[in-house]
Parts: sequence; C-alpha cells; structure tokens
Amino acid sequence: MTNFLQATFAVFRKDITAELRSREIIFAMMVFSMLVIVIFNFALELDPATRKEVTSGVLWATFAFAGTLGLNRSMAVEKDRGCLDGLLLAPVDRSAIYFGKVLSNLAFMFIVEAFVLPLYSALYNVNLFNPGLLLVILLGSIGYTAVGTLLASMAVQARTRDVLLPILLFPIAIPVLLSAVKASTGFLNGVEMAEIWPSLNLLIVYDVIFTAVAFMVFDAVVEE
Amino acid sequence: MTPKPTLLKVLDYLSVIVLIIAAYLALVYAPTEQIMGDVQRVFYFHIGTAWVGLLGFVLSAILGIAYLVTKDMKWDIIEVAAIEISVVFFFITIVLGSVWARPAWNTWWTWDPRLTTAAITELVYVAYFMLRAGVEDPERRARFGAVYALFGGLSAPITFMAIRLFRSIHPVVIGAANQNQEKMNMSGDMRVAFFFALFAFTVIFIDLFWNRIRLGQLESKVEQLKLKVM
Amino acid sequence: MEPTPDTSAYMIAGYAVFFIVSAIYVASLFIRNRSLQRDLETLEDLDAKK
Repeated sequence: MTNFLQATFAVFRKDITAELRSREIIFAMMVFSMLVIVIFNFALELDPATRKEVTSGVLWATFAFAGTLGLNRSMAVEKDRGCLDGLLLAPVDRSAIYFGKVLSNLAFMFIVEAFVLPLYSALYNVNLFNPGLLLVILLGSIGYTAVGTLLASMAVQARTRDVLLPILLFPIAIPVLLSAVKASTGFLNGVEMAEIWPSLNLLIVYDVIFTAVAFMVFDAVVEE
Repeated sequence: MTPKPTLLKVLDYLSVIVLIIAAYLALVYAPTEQIMGDVQRVFYFHIGTAWVGLLGFVLSAILGIAYLVTKDMKWDIIEVAAIEISVVFFFITIVLGSVWARPAWNTWWTWDPRLTTAAITELVYVAYFMLRAGVEDPERRARFGAVYALFGGLSAPITFMAIRLFRSIHPVVIGAANQNQEKMNMSGDMRVAFFFALFAFTVIFIDLFWNRIRLGQLESKVEQLKLKVM
Repeated sequence: MEPTPDTSAYMIAGYAVFFIVSAIYVASLFIRNRSLQRDLETLEDLDAKK
C-alpha cells in the first residue's frame, strides 16, 4: 500500500516538476480560459440581470474547455516523449500511474480555477468566494479529471487524437457538468440546502462510480 | 466464409414478414387516435425502435466487460454489431419522436430529460465509432471500444437523472407535455399493434444482429489475411 | 369535442424516414458484405500463389 502511494506521488511530483520547468500546460490553460470568458461576455451580453443566472454556466463551460486542453496536453507529452512506455516499464502497479496522472491533472485544474474565480469576480463584480461553490468545484473537478484522464490516455494513442478527446469526454461528462452547474447556481443564489443536495449527491455518486471503474480498466487502456 | 445457416435465412424472411404485419397493424388496423390524429401511429415504431436501441446499448456494456475479462476477440465483434444496429435504430427513434412532437407539442424538439438523454446517448455511440476509426491495431481498438462502451452504458442513467434535476426548475412546458404522453390511453386494438411492434422489432433486431456479427467475423478474417499476405 | 386534427402528413413523413433509413442500413450491410467477400477472394488467391 505504501508502495502504491509512493508510486502515485512519484508520478505526481514528476509532472509538477516538469510543469514548473516548462510551464506549457498551465499557462495555455489560463490564457485559454481568459479568452473563453471574454467570448462569453460578448456572446451572452452579460448584463447584471442575466449574469446571475448564467454565472455558473459560464464558469463550468470555461473549466470544461480549459480542462480538455490540459488533459490532452498532459497525456500527449507522455506519449510523444516516450515517457508513457518508460512509466509502464516501471515495476509498480499501473493504477498508481493513473492516480498520479489524475492528481497532477487535478492540480492543473485547481490552479486554473483559482485563477478564473478571482478574475471573474473582479470582471463582473460578483463575489464567488462561497464555501459551497468551492465544494462543488472540488467534486466536479474530481469527476471530470477522473474520466478525462482515462479518456485522454486512450485519445492520445489514436490517430485522430487532437479532435478526439472533447468528442469522447463531453458526452460522458455531461452529468458532472449539469449537476455542477445546478449546484453552483444554487449556492450562488442562496437556495436552500434541501434543493442543492440532490445535485451534490449525484456528483458524489458519479465521482465514486467513475473513479472506481477507471481504476479497474486503466490497465486495459495502456497495455501494450 | 461459411454459407448462411438455414435458420438465419428463415429469420431473414420472418423479419420481413413481421415488419409488414407490424406496419399493417400500426397504419391500418389500429384506430386513429382522437386527439392527435394519424401522427400517433408513428408511436408504435417509435417505441419498437427505442426498445431494441436500448437493448443493444445495454448489451454492449455487458459485452465490453466480457471482452475486458476474457480478451477474446469474439466479444468485440458482437459488441460492435450491437452498437451499430442500436445507433441506427436509436437515430430512427429520435427522428420519429421529433416528427410526432411537432404536431403534438407544437415543436420539433424540447429539452426534456428523455429527449436530451436520447440525443446524448446517440452522441456517445457516434463518438465510439470515431474512437474506433482512429485506432489501427485491432486488439487495441477492441480494448478501447470495450472501455468506452462500458463508460457509455454507465453514464446514460446518470445523465438522465442529472437532466431531470436540472429541468425541475422549469416544469411548465415539459411537465405538461409529459403528462400528456403518460396519459395516452390505448384501446385494445392499439395495444395489439403496440405489443406486436415490440415483438417484430425484437425479431428484426436478432436477425440484423446475427447478420452483422457474421459481417464482423468476415471483416476480421480479411484483416488477418491482409496482415499475412502483405 | 374538438375534431381530430389531420396530421397524416407527419405520419407519412415518419414512416418514410423509418423505411428509408432502414433500407440504407440493410443496403450498407449488403455492400460491405460483398466487397469483403471480394477482398477475401483476392487475398486467398495471393496467399495461394505464395
């Protein structure tokens, strides 16, 4: 068990170190999410009245788009530099590699979200620092990256990999995005907890089911 | 390739016969619905295709697990067959539903949980074929396909629940429409047409499924021979 | 009671879609089967010559 955790953290540390040196993933995700927000601003004419209703939708669309960018890149780097083969040769449980990648992708997601939230708050003069919203972001990001990491490791091994990840991921991730948007809107508008719980429960159920299944099938995805 | 088994030939003819009978029952035998008129007649085939479409998708998730456990190519061939037929039937289901919705709800499309889940499910399996098309190695293609079929099968019910949650804020149009659908009273003759359509599509599904599995076997045989010759 | 509306045009459209799509699918099965049979014959010839 300690071996497993050590291997997971080793993969995680490797990714973070590499990212700190090259800064190619997080920087791209940040710039991209800024652009998405700018586009939404004009596409939706975000005046104060409508803003209240669409804030969480805009936020989650931004996270989802920036997320696919990061997921694709972080797996493509492994594939192109032959790191994946090296990792697979290591005498550790392969699911440790999966969890390591999930952790680092999750870290990238969190960094981008930590960048987007204050930016959005400042640009639109809304307070997004709501503990409930942060909880939803935590749960939603876990489900999204758990599925995304697995699908990205399939997508990078395909011929059409650049277009494939969003097509594979979005239809599967729709439950996460929908319940996250619903719960976020609930927290931002101060709705009663009784109305938010169903969405939170669904997020938790999704996270548990898909993390477990991804853990079980990851071996089949990377097998040579 | 081995010649077509007699049973399959019989099944081919039987499918055509039950299709004709189902069409006769739906179009002529069943009485015209009072409120909606003739368009209600698409409902029989709508439910029939939806049933076999869902059957194929559920089957494919199970077959995906079977492949991942045994790594036997035969499960992959059966899984692709199930999904391909289901994608075709489910597409028909959605179009028929839309044709029915236009006069009944006065719109081609509403974002109601059932419709939306159907559309997303269809997209999942279209993505499935795009994934397969991008992978050349047959064994890897089978693994990826099995994993994705499993994911698709798991996410569909959760998607339905998520959309139902989401839509509960605007119950106006959709709620009314749904009640309308639930309230559809079927007379005895309608019920005959309805259950016969379910039966007919089950037969047609089995027939197409079998034919498609044979096609898949032929495909993999050609693929292997190609590798051997070239 | 309201008279039953005439919605037969939609019914015809629906069944037309059904039969056309099914026919295309069955035809595609036929065509794929035929071209695979042809490929198989060619490949078997090549294999025999070797």
